[in-house]
Amino acid sequence: MKNTLIGLLGILFLFACDSKKKPSADEISGILDSVRIEEPAISEEVISDIIQQIPSPLEISTLLKEAETKYDKSHLNDPENLSNYNSNFKKALALGVYGTDLGYTNIYGQNQDALFYLNSIKSLADDLSIGQFFDIGTIKRLATNSKNLDSLLLITTKNFNSINAYLQNQKRSNLSVLLLSGGWLEALYIVSKVSEKNPGNQQLKETIGEQKIIMDNVALLLSFYVDNDPNIKDLAKRFAELQSEFNKIEIKTVYREPTYEVVDGMLVVKDNSSSEIIMTDENIVAIRTMVYEIRNNIIN
Amino acid sequence: MKKLIFALGIILVTTSFNKALAQCDTEKHVEACIPKLQEGYTFLKSYSIDGEGGAKKKVEYSYVFTKGATYQVLICNDGQSTDGIILTLYDSNRKPVASTKYEGSTLKAIAFPCQVTGIYYITYTFEGSTNYCGGSVLGFKR
Repeated sequence: MKNTLIGLLGILFLFACDSKKKPSADEISGILDSVRIEEPAISEEVISDIIQQIPSPLEISTLLKEAETKYDKSHLNDPENLSNYNSNFKKALALGVYGTDLGYTNIYGQNQDALFYLNSIKSLADDLSIGQFFDIGTIKRLATNSKNLDSLLLITTKNFNSINAYLQNQKRSNLSVLLLSGGWLEALYIVSKVSEKNPGNQQLKETIGEQKIIMDNVALLLSFYVDNDPNIKDLAKRFAELQSEFNKIEIKTVYREPTYEVVDGMLVVKDNSSSEIIMTDENIVAIRTMVYEIRNNIIN
Repeated sequence: MKKLIFALGIILVTTSFNKALAQCDTEKHVEACIPKLQEGYTFLKSYSIDGEGGAKKKVEYSYVFTKGATYQVLICNDGQSTDGIILTLYDSNRKPVASTKYEGSTLKAIAFPCQVTGIYYITYTFEGSTNYCGGSVLGFKR
């Protein structure tokens, strides 16, 4: 609390020193960012459990490839945008965004593009003191050969998992939550863009609708920090608006007992349950419009 | 007196050594597990199974499974058997979906083609375990 007050006094001091030169939004964000964030009231263990639940953005990229949609670089955040991110808050969000973009390039075997994203990721990770997780030499070697795609995917997925665990151990889980929020929003942005281009593809619309479940988790995670972190408070407000659009969607589930068989020592389950997503095209348009707006705000 | 101090020293060193030996190296098991994911599956998460020598009865993780994807969860530990580690998958209502303890045998993996998107609980319990130690990985395919 004391640190927050000092930070706020700092902002007031800036105004007071030169009333003609008002600080920009970025400057304010930077100052707020330097204020030490108090730990949220909720335990690290609970936060870690919720973080663990969030599915990897890779799953959406894989779906897009399986749906035979073409690789489209224009959906991704330009790796050159790096200079836009001048606070830990922005860097952590951007790291999540670039992580998803890297996964997308990986899934489509676009190794040259992957290298650009890796460079930006390494730079952001260094700034956030988590650069040690990226052995850039090994990653680049893997990225230059498409035969190494599986290894590259594996190593980058492992790195992002390790970063999350490390940040939580370091009591910097606010950054972990931002990384995850940025990554999830980027995956939602990409699938929304592809869906807009392919309006007849019902599976893509359902994928957007299903994000309602993850939206609830992301909003919950952000809510833990709103009292202590002014930047997250603002982001959480925008995510809450998105959540209210998702709340207009209904997911109906019919449960049936599963059946089983053993194949090569592995239990193979036949899931006989089913679910239906009740939503309209207007719901999808409203969600996508809001996603574009929030994402634009994050990357610029 | 000197002998007593010497004896205590030996006990202390032996205890620490045994403790070090008994420590559960879950990372080793996880690393061994990743290549065992069947072809076509993409690695998603790794899970440590540390029953702390029997002090912990259950180790649990959760993950949002997505409709249309097939998930594979593998258990890895020392030796061929599962050393009494049982994996049970529960749905978001905590209803059991599948268990590696199946028809009298204990299996090492579950494949689950998901039909309902939601939070699933991946739970590891111990039945007659010696080491209470292992690793596990989650992979998916479309």
